[in-house]
Amino acid sequence: MLRVDKVRKAFQGFQAVADANLTVPSGMVTAVIGPNGAGKSTLFNLITGHLQSDSGQILFQEENIAGLPPHAITRKGIGRSFQLINIFQRLTVFENIKAALIAREGKTMNFFLPARRLFNDEVWDILGEFGLADFAERSASLMSYGDQKVLEIAIALATKPKLLLLDEPTAGMSPEETRKIVQLIKRLSCDQGLTILLTEHDMELVFDVAQRIMVLHQGRTIAEGLPEDVRRDAGVRSAYLGEAI
Amino acid sequence: MDFATFASQFLIGLSRGMIFFIVSAGLTLVFGVLRVSNFAHGSLYMLGAFLAYTAILWLGQGEAGFWLALLIAPLAVAVIALVIERGLLRFIYKREHLMQMLLTYSLVLIFGDLVKMVWGSDYKSLPVPQALTGSFHFLEANLPVYNAFLLLIGPLVALGLWFFLFRTHLGKLCRATAADREMVDVLGQNSTWIFALVFALGGWLAGLGGALIAPTVNIAMGMDANIIIYAFLIVVVGGLGNVWGALISSLIMGVGESLGVLFIPDFAIILPYLIAGVLLIIRPSGLLRSAW
Amino acid sequence: MSCSYSTVRAEKRVQKRSLVLRLALIGLVLFFLILPSFLSPYALYLMATIFTTALLATSLNLVLGYGGLMHLHHAVFYGVGAYAVAILMTKTALPFWAAAIIAPFAAALVALLIGWFSVRLRGLYFGMLTLALGQLVWAIVYRWNALTGGDDGIHAIPVPEVLTSLNASYYLTLIVLVLSLLVLFAIVKSPFGLILTAARDNIPRTGSIGVNVKRHQLAAFVIAGFFAGIAGVLFIVIDRSVAPSLLYWNKSAEVLIMCLMGGMGTFLGPSLGAALLVLLSMVVGVYTEYWLLVLGLILLVLVLFLPQGILGFVSGKLKSASRKEVD
Repeated sequence: MLRVDKVRKAFQGFQAVADANLTVPSGMVTAVIGPNGAGKSTLFNLITGHLQSDSGQILFQEENIAGLPPHAITRKGIGRSFQLINIFQRLTVFENIKAALIAREGKTMNFFLPARRLFNDEVWDILGEFGLADFAERSASLMSYGDQKVLEIAIALATKPKLLLLDEPTAGMSPEETRKIVQLIKRLSCDQGLTILLTEHDMELVFDVAQRIMVLHQGRTIAEGLPEDVRRDAGVRSAYLGEAI
Repeated sequence: MDFATFASQFLIGLSRGMIFFIVSAGLTLVFGVLRVSNFAHGSLYMLGAFLAYTAILWLGQGEAGFWLALLIAPLAVAVIALVIERGLLRFIYKREHLMQMLLTYSLVLIFGDLVKMVWGSDYKSLPVPQALTGSFHFLEANLPVYNAFLLLIGPLVALGLWFFLFRTHLGKLCRATAADREMVDVLGQNSTWIFALVFALGGWLAGLGGALIAPTVNIAMGMDANIIIYAFLIVVVGGLGNVWGALISSLIMGVGESLGVLFIPDFAIILPYLIAGVLLIIRPSGLLRSAW
Repeated sequence: MSCSYSTVRAEKRVQKRSLVLRLALIGLVLFFLILPSFLSPYALYLMATIFTTALLATSLNLVLGYGGLMHLHHAVFYGVGAYAVAILMTKTALPFWAAAIIAPFAAALVALLIGWFSVRLRGLYFGMLTLALGQLVWAIVYRWNALTGGDDGIHAIPVPEVLTSLNASYYLTLIVLVLSLLVLFAIVKSPFGLILTAARDNIPRTGSIGVNVKRHQLAAFVIAGFFAGIAGVLFIVIDRSVAPSLLYWNKSAEVLIMCLMGGMGTFLGPSLGAALLVLLSMVVGVYTEYWLLVLGLILLVLVLFLPQGILGFVSGKLKSASRKEVD
C-alpha cells in the first residue's frame, strides 16, 4: 500500500534520514524501530507531508505523494497520530471528533449550516467505541494523558484512513493504558483489516503486534522483513537490538 | 537628475538608516532575549528626544549642552526602561505574545499623554550644535555635517554592540539566552538580571536614537507612532533578534525612503511599507537568521 | 454506546441557559428599538457610533478570537469600506445605495490581497505583514490627493436625505448590526467556524485531518474584511466624511482593545467592549483631555488581571458554577 524508496532528508547539514526504504503491505501492522535519533519521527513527518524530503519517492497506492501538503495526503487516505499529544485542546472532546468528520466529509467550507446538527450519531458512536463518551462535553485538555492519547487516535481514525500512522502510541502511558492501546491496535487490524504503520520504543509491544518490521539506524534502513528475521539479523543485533533484548 | 543630487540623497538616506538602526537594534535585542515585542520602544525614542530638549534647555545652548544632553537623555531613558521591566514586564513573560504586545501598547498610550502633560502639545525644536552645522562636499555630493556625524555614530554603535555581544561575558550570556530558551532556566536568578539589563540597554538605544534625531526634526507628539512601525518592520525583515539583520534592513529602509523622495516625491511615504511588505513576502523568515 | 446521565443533564442545562440567553438578547434588541424616543440627539449619534464600532470589533474577532490569528491592522478594511463609498459618490455618478453595496466587496478584495500574502506566515510574522501591508494602504490613501483628498479626506458626502436624520441612522446602524451579527454568529457555529477554531488550537492537527488551514484562514480574513467594510459604510452614514486616520494603525489597536475588553473568546464580547470604550471615551472626555492615558491604564489592568475579558470572565464563572452542580 505504501512504499518509501531511497528517501533522504537533511537539516542544516545533519542527515536525519539518509536512505530509508520501507514497504507497508495492505492489511498488515508494520513497525519502524530504531534507537533514539534514528530518524523515525522524521520519516513519519516526511510520509505525512509535515516535512519535505530532499530526494526519493513516497508511493501511496502507486502514486507519488512526496511534496504534497499534509492536508492533501490526509485526503488521499493516510491518517496519523503524533508522538506528543496533538488534539484540539480548547474544543470539547465531542467537537474534536466532529471536526475530523466535517473534514472527512469535505464540509469545511460550509458557512451557514449549523455544525451542531451534523454527524452527531456518528460522533457518539466513535466516542462510545473508544470509551470517551463520558467526557464528551468536556474541554479536551481536561482529560487524563492516556485519554488524550486515545482521543488523538480516535481523531485520526474518524477521518477513515486507509493507512493509519501511529507515532509512539504508548509513549508516556501507564502499563494499564498501554494494554488498552495494544488491544485497540489488534482490534483495528484483525477486525477491521486496517493497515497500520507505527513506531514504538516498547520492543515487547512491537513484536506482539507487528507483522513486519523495518529497522532504521542513523537514518538508514538496515533491515526489513518478518519479525523473526529481523530479530535474527546480525546487523540489527549489533546496531540496536543487542542491548534491547 | 544629476549624480550629485542622487549621491547626496543617498547619503542622507544612509544617515537616516543609521538612526533606524540605533532604534531598531534596541528593539531586536529585546525581542531576541526577552521574546517581547515592545510597542513602547517608540515611546522611549520620543522620550529620548524630549529629554534631550529639556536637558539642553537647562544646560544652555552652548557646545557642551548638546554633548551632555546626548549623554544624559539616553541614560535617563534607560532608567525609565529599567523601571518598566522590573515593575511590569517581568510579570508577563509567560503570557501569549498578543497579551505582551497589548501590555506594551498600554504604555504607548500612557507615555503619549504623559509627554503631553509635561511638555505640552506644541512642536519643540533644537538647533544643530555649532560644531556640526554647515555641509560637506564629498565627491560632487553635498552632505550636511550633522548627517555625516550620524554616519559616524551608526557604525560606532554597531561596533559597540558587537563588542558587547561577542567580547564580553555578559554579552555572550545574552546571546546564549536568545539562542536557547533553556539557558533561562540554567541561569536561574541571573537570567532576570540579564532581562532587566537588556531591556535597559534597549531603552538606552531608543533614547539615543531620539536624542540624535532631535536637532533635525520637530520634536512632537506622534513621533512615537511612526518610528515604532518602522522599527518593527525593520526588525522583522532583518530576522527577529538579529542585530546585523536590523542593520541591513535599516539601511535599506533609510536609503529606500530617501531615494523615493527623488523619484516619486508624492508617494515616498509608501516606500518603507512597500519594501518591508515585499521583503517579508519573498523572505518570510527575515533576511538573516532570527534570534542569532 | 454510553451517553451517560450526567452528560444529558448538562446538555439540558446548557439548552435552558441558551434559551434564557436568547430571550434576553431579543429583549435587548426590542429595548434598542424603542430607545430612541428617550434619547437626546447626541445620545442617538453616540448609539449609532456604538453599533458601527461593535460590528467592526465583532468582525475582527472572527479572525482574532475564533481564528487565533494575530491580525494587527483590521481598521484598513473599515477605512476602505468608508473610502469606497466616499470616492464612488463624489467621483462617479453612482447613487448611495450602489456605492454602499460595492464598498464591502472592495474591502473584501483588499482583505483578499493582504490575506493572500499574510496567511502564509505564522504568529508574529503574520501580524507584522498585516501591519506592513495595512500601513501601505494607509500611506496610499494619505498621499493620493487626487482620489482620496489626501490628509484632509473627503467631506460632505451626499448621503440620501432619508438617512441623514439621527433617528434614521440610529435604526439603520442597529438593523445592519443585528443582521450582520446573526450572519457572523451562523458562520461561527457552522462547520467552517468549528474548523477555524480547531485551527486556532492546533494548526498541524487540523492539517492532518485533511483541512487546508491557510485557505480557511484566508476565507475568515476576507469575511472579516467584508463586515469591516459594512461597518465603514455605516460610518459614512453617521459622519458623512472620511479621513486617513480611519485606517491608521492605532485605530486598529483600539479595535483590538475592544475585543480584549469584552472577551476574545466570546461572540458578544467585542460588541460589549466597543460599547464600553465609546461610552468611556465620551464620559472621560468631559473631564479630562487625557483620555488616552485612561485608556492605557484600563488596558494595563485588563492585560494583567482580566485577560479573558468581561464576558469571558462571566461565562467562565457560569460554566464552573454549572459544572459544580453536575458534580
